[in-house]
Amino acid sequence: MPVTIRAPNLPTPQDALQRADASDEDMSDDDLPTAASGTSIVTPGETITSDPQWMRGHGTYVPPSTTTIVSTVAGHLHKTNKLLSVQALRARYSPEIGDLVVGRIVSVGTKKWSVDIAAPMLASLPLSAINLPGGILRRRTAVDELNIRTFFSEGDLLVAEVQSLHQDNTASLHTRSLKYGKLRNGLFTSLSGAGGGVLSRRGGVVRSKRQTFTLNTAAGEVDVVLGVNGYIFISAHAAKTGSGTADGKDVGITRLEEAVSETLYSSQNDDMTPAIMGEITRVSTLIRGLAAAGRRVDEDVIVKVYEGAVELEAEEKSLGIKGGEKGVGAVGVVEAVLERLELGG
Amino acid sequence: MAPSQAAQVNLSPAELSFLRSSLSQTPPIRLDNTKGPRDFRSMVAEYDVLPSTNGSARIALDDGTEALVGVKAEVEKSLWRPNVEGRRALSIAAGDVDMTDDDKLESHDNKGKGQNSWIEISVEIPGYRDDDALPVFLASMLTESLLSSGELKDRLYINNRFHWKLGIDILLLSPPLSYPLALLSMTTHLALLTAHLPALKSEKDEDPLFDDDWDAAVPLYPKSDSSGGANVDKPPVIVLAMAVGPNIIFDPCKEELAVADAVLAIACAPSNASSTGPRIVSIRTIDPPSHLTPPAVPNAMNSATGGVAPASTAEALTQRELLSASGVWTPPRGGMKRDLIKRVSSMVVDKGGVAEEVIAALQAIEVG
Repeated sequence: MPVTIRAPNLPTPQDALQRADASDEDMSDDDLPTAASGTSIVTPGETITSDPQWMRGHGTYVPPSTTTIVSTVAGHLHKTNKLLSVQALRARYSPEIGDLVVGRIVSVGTKKWSVDIAAPMLASLPLSAINLPGGILRRRTAVDELNIRTFFSEGDLLVAEVQSLHQDNTASLHTRSLKYGKLRNGLFTSLSGAGGGVLSRRGGVVRSKRQTFTLNTAAGEVDVVLGVNGYIFISAHAAKTGSGTADGKDVGITRLEEAVSETLYSSQNDDMTPAIMGEITRVSTLIRGLAAAGRRVDEDVIVKVYEGAVELEAEEKSLGIKGGEKGVGAVGVVEAVLERLELGG
Repeated sequence: MAPSQAAQVNLSPAELSFLRSSLSQTPPIRLDNTKGPRDFRSMVAEYDVLPSTNGSARIALDDGTEALVGVKAEVEKSLWRPNVEGRRALSIAAGDVDMTDDDKLESHDNKGKGQNSWIEISVEIPGYRDDDALPVFLASMLTESLLSSGELKDRLYINNRFHWKLGIDILLLSPPLSYPLALLSMTTHLALLTAHLPALKSEKDEDPLFDDDWDAAVPLYPKSDSSGGANVDKPPVIVLAMAVGPNIIFDPCKEELAVADAVLAIACAPSNASSTGPRIVSIRTIDPPSHLTPPAVPNAMNSATGGVAPASTAEALTQRELLSASGVWTPPRGGMKRDLIKRVSSMVVDKGGVAEEVIAALQAIEVG
């Protein structure tokens, strides 16, 4: 069946009633019943409490000359001792120094690029913060400024690190490492809105030990770059060429010329087999399914779900069943795999 | 040719090249790898969502695009049309209409009396003005397909002096993530399918008086015709198809649309006779956004990758024409071949084709 249409799953009217009751208690009681449940949502402008014993935390506001605490974002209420904070349901990424991010060039200036990193403001990537082709270490000249579009032009994807933050929270990026640079040979996926960072919201990339990893698939190795900002790039693993870059790790600054390959700023894809393209799309579909199912996205989960999905497909093929009864699309596959994983322990 | 959406494609040449080569595989690898070339993105649909409309529907796609349609009918005074009146008077004067004929005439005599202006469609898309190209084109495409059969507008005829004025308000609740024509058309289809008009109590040319019992209301698109047969008119539905290399892909998402060779919008209406498949009521080509993308710079022409940048534009053009590397994005050129249009339309309207499946799926919501 190529067209799948489901009925909406709306909350039952009873739920709304219970919620109304709960918020009534909220006003009168000095205790906060909503904080414990974690299922109810406060909206901007909603009074959380007028009791002066509480302290205001993130996402709240006390109007002048009152003691009322009002929510400023839509999200869940959290209570830490006497501190009230509201965690937003969806938030933009707020950059921090050292974050690995995937970005897209929005505009090209004379000496810098403006990069979209899903933050409230565009980040900047100065011409001086990139590796020059061939790894030459020198001052950037007027010729480099004229040739700025040969490195990155509008729409190009890159992986970079947040080097510094300005006072207005705009980030300054750098790509001065062999791990960073232009992205190609793959597929971009965005899971923005989760806010990134250590606070784990439902579905999204969280800061973790390893943001880039290689996945072993039947068709070959697939590189996954999980940007903390929720931008994800999945690409075919680049075959290392030449002896100098045999194991990119112990390249000193003196041998940078040999290590920075010729294709650093290429916008041309290598030849890929259909099988590897299929695996790249599969990983990207599964990651989107994970986010839609409200799971956190990190290396561990992706590897498990990927292996589970491959197994599931093989079984379905051998048994001749078409599709799972669980659900449809990416979410259906992810849910089926997660259920099996939980059953298996 | 219809205007493409104003939002520019913002994908890197490497991404475009990847998408294009994966979509031109056999079988094509789609962005959502659980879907085949003929599969639609899964959606959530409901109807009768707006309380004070004659019919309404809401459809939300998985990617977050959501459309809301309300159908509102109002009684309006018809303009006096002398030629219709005159013809009628003439035929009575000639005496060739007796009483039995007149009765029979009464049930069918709204044939050909509907006017195009009785149906008004407005499309609202966030971030676009009313007179922007995209909403205007979407509205005219939807109007065109609705009016083409002529049966709907005839059904709006009440008597010589009054008629129903049908206002269809289409609202896209999210920014257009992909070309929203198919979604809007499916939502409109569902809203019209479930729309009801109050039952008429007055007769002939009296001032119209309606039954105030909403349960007695008659559906705008009757389930069965007067003789009880199932061959009734149904609202049309528009299917979006795109061609990439040798493949034809239905319901493309935004990224897939960005590498299309050609995009075709086909409006189909279920045929009156149940034996044949749906019929095409209108067809439009849509300018694919891929035509506006900049080409990739091949390694050989990029000074940052060890190549030599061409000295002049003419030289660059020559080098591009002679290019043989596979991973370089080059925007597709040219239009649609006649054979391709034939293949797409036969895939849509054939027995068991895409249009039939879409219509059946939308019908199933109302029934189930």
